Amino acid sequence: MQGSFFRRSSAAGLPAGSGSALPALLLVGLFFIVPVVALLLRSVTDPEPGLQNYAALFGSGTYVRVFLNTFLVASVVTAVTILVAFPVAWMLAIMPPAMGSVVFGIIILSMWTNLLTRTYAWMVLLQRTGVINRALMGLGVIHEPLPLINNLAGVTIGMVYIMLPFMILPLVGTLRAIDPMTLRAAALCGASPFEAFRRILLPLSLPGIAAGGLMIFVMSLGYFVTPALLGGTSNMMLAEMITQTVQSLLNWGLGSAAAFVLLVVTMALYAIQLRLVGAKHAGGGI
Amino acid sequence: MTRSFLSIRAVRKTFGAFVAVHDVTIDVPKGEFLTFLGPSGSGKSTTLYAIAGFQDPSSGDVLLEDRSLLSVPSHKRNIGMVFQRYTLFPHLSVAENVAFPLRVRRRPDAEVKRKVADMLALVRLENFADRHPGALSGGQQQRVALARALAYDPPILLMDEPLSALDKKLRQEIQAEIRRIHRETGVTILYVTHDQEEALHLSDRIALFREGRIEQIGTGEDLYLRPASEFVAGFIGNSNFLAAEHLETAGGAATIRLADGSIVKGVKTTQAFDRGQKARLMVRPEAFRLTPGPASAELAVEFIDAAFFGDRRRVVMRTAGGEELDVRPTSDAAEPHGPDSGRRIFFDPAVAFLFPA
Repeated sequence: MQGSFFRRSSAAGLPAGSGSALPALLLVGLFFIVPVVALLLRSVTDPEPGLQNYAALFGSGTYVRVFLNTFLVASVVTAVTILVAFPVAWMLAIMPPAMGSVVFGIIILSMWTNLLTRTYAWMVLLQRTGVINRALMGLGVIHEPLPLINNLAGVTIGMVYIMLPFMILPLVGTLRAIDPMTLRAAALCGASPFEAFRRILLPLSLPGIAAGGLMIFVMSLGYFVTPALLGGTSNMMLAEMITQTVQSLLNWGLGSAAAFVLLVVTMALYAIQLRLVGAKHAGGGI
Repeated sequence: MTRSFLSIRAVRKTFGAFVAVHDVTIDVPKGEFLTFLGPSGSGKSTTLYAIAGFQDPSSGDVLLEDRSLLSVPSHKRNIGMVFQRYTLFPHLSVAENVAFPLRVRRRPDAEVKRKVADMLALVRLENFADRHPGALSGGQQQRVALARALAYDPPILLMDEPLSALDKKLRQEIQAEIRRIHRETGVTILYVTHDQEEALHLSDRIALFREGRIEQIGTGEDLYLRPASEFVAGFIGNSNFLAAEHLETAGGAATIRLADGSIVKGVKTTQAFDRGQKARLMVRPEAFRLTPGPASAELAVEFIDAAFFGDRRRVVMRTAGGEELDVRPTSDAAEPHGPDSGRRIFFDPAVAFLFPA
C-alpha cells in the first residue's frame, strides 16, 4: 500500500489532497522551523557574532563530559529497553488476541499516566529509605541500602520504564508479521530454541528493533525530567545543562549552541537509520 | 509382530472434550510413501503433528526404530518437514535456506557446500542458489523447502498439504517431482492431503481418516476397488449411489431389489444384511456400459446431458426413481443416446458394492 502511494505521488508531482496538508505545514513552519533558525542565529550572535559559543562548548572538559554522559545514558537506556521489551513483545505477538489487548491496555495506560507522577513514584521506590531498599534489607538480602537513585542506575530504571512502550509497540508489529510456522520449520531443521532465536527470529525482527531503538535513543538524548529527578549531579545530561545555562547562568548563546548541536546529532542519526534500514522501516513501526 | 520402522501406537489427542484423534495405530515400513487422506478436521494433520513434536498426544506412543519419539524435542527428532505455507527463511538466500539445517549441526563448510549443491540439483534449482525466497514462485519455494527438509538425510519426511497453495498444473508438476525424489532418495514419506487424486497419484498406501479414526488403510487400488464403507467409496473417486433393498446374501454376493423393482444378483458386499434391510448400491461412473455385456444388470434411465472429455465422455442420466447418475463411458464407446432415445444402461454387478443405508 505504501509503495503504491509513493508511486502515485511521484507520478503526479504532489500527492492528491496535498492542499489539505497546508495548515499542518504552516504550523510546522511557524512553530518549529522559525524557532530553530532563531536558535541557530542566537548561538552565533549572542553575546557577539562569531563561533565562540561552540568553541566554549567543545573546549571545556565539563561540557564535553556532559555530551559523553548524554550519549552513555541514551545508549544504556536504549540497550536495556530492547532487552526488556523483546520478551514482552514476543509474548504479545503470540498471545491470543483477547488476552493481548488486555496487556496492550495496561501498557498504553502507563503511557497515559502523567510523566511526573511516574517519576516521583520511582523516587519513592528507589531512594535509600525507599520501598525496594527496605524490603531487601528486611529480607536480609542486603545490609546497606543500594544506591539506586541520583546515579546512572536510577536514570536508567526510570527512563527504561518510560521508553518501554515505544519499543514494544513497533516490535510487536514486526514480530506479528513473522509466521510462527517459520520457527517450527527451524526447530524441525534441528535448531534449538536459542539457535532459532539467533539465526531466524532476531534477524527478522531487526527492522522493528532498529525503528524502536532509534526513536528511544533520540528521545533519550533530549530527556529532561527523569534525569533531573533520578540522576545525580555527576552525570548531568544535555537537556539539564541547557536549562541551567539558560535559566541560572542566563547564557542564551551557549544554551542555543548546545541545543543546536543536539538537534544536528539527532538529524544525523535519523539520516543514518534511513540509509541503513530504508524509509519504510525508520519510525514506521508505530 | 514384525519390527516396523515407524510405529504409531494408539495415538489419541483430545482438546478439552473434543477428541481430535481416536487411538490411531499405523505401522510404516522403511521407504514407504504413506498418505493421510481425509476431509479437514479428520485428525490427519494432528496425527502428523504428533510425529513432528508440535503437539504431544494425550495418550499413545510414536516409535521410530523401536525408540519412543515423544520425550524428544522437535529439534532433536531429526525429521524433515515441508509445510502447507511457505516457511522458508525470508532473510536467507535459497542456498542458505538449504544449508540452515547443516549449519545448526555445525557441519564443515565444504560438506555444507557440497550437500547444498546436491540438494538444489535434486529439486532442479541449481541456478537459483543466490536468490531470496521472495523472488521465487510458490512452486519453486516448495521445492526449496523440500531441499531444505532433505538436506540432513532425515529418516522420515513429513509433508503437510505442501501443494494446496499451488494451482492445478503446478501441483501435477510437483507431484511428479515428489515421486521422482522419493524414488531417488528412498526416504520414508508421510504425506497429508485432502485431495484424493493427489493421494492416489503419489502413495504406496493411503490411510483414509474420518472424524479422528482411520476408516480404511491400504493401497489406492484397495480403497478404490474394495472400499470398506460408503464413506470410502464416496471419498475416493466418483460414485453413484442407488437406493436398494437387500434380499439375500450367499458367498459374498448379494441379491437386491432396486427402487424400480428390478432384481440384481451377484452384488459384492463385505457386510451382513437382514432380509428387507434398506441399503445403498454403489456403482463407479466408468462401470456403466451403454451396450449390454455378459451377465450385466440393467437400469431404465432418461438421458439428461452429455459432454466430451477427450479420454472419456460424461453422460448425466436419471433413473425412473429420480436419482441422477454420473456415467463415464470411454470415448470410443458408442455415441451416447440422444435425448429422444436411450432408455437403458448396463453394469456388471460384480464391480458394484452394497453398503448399509
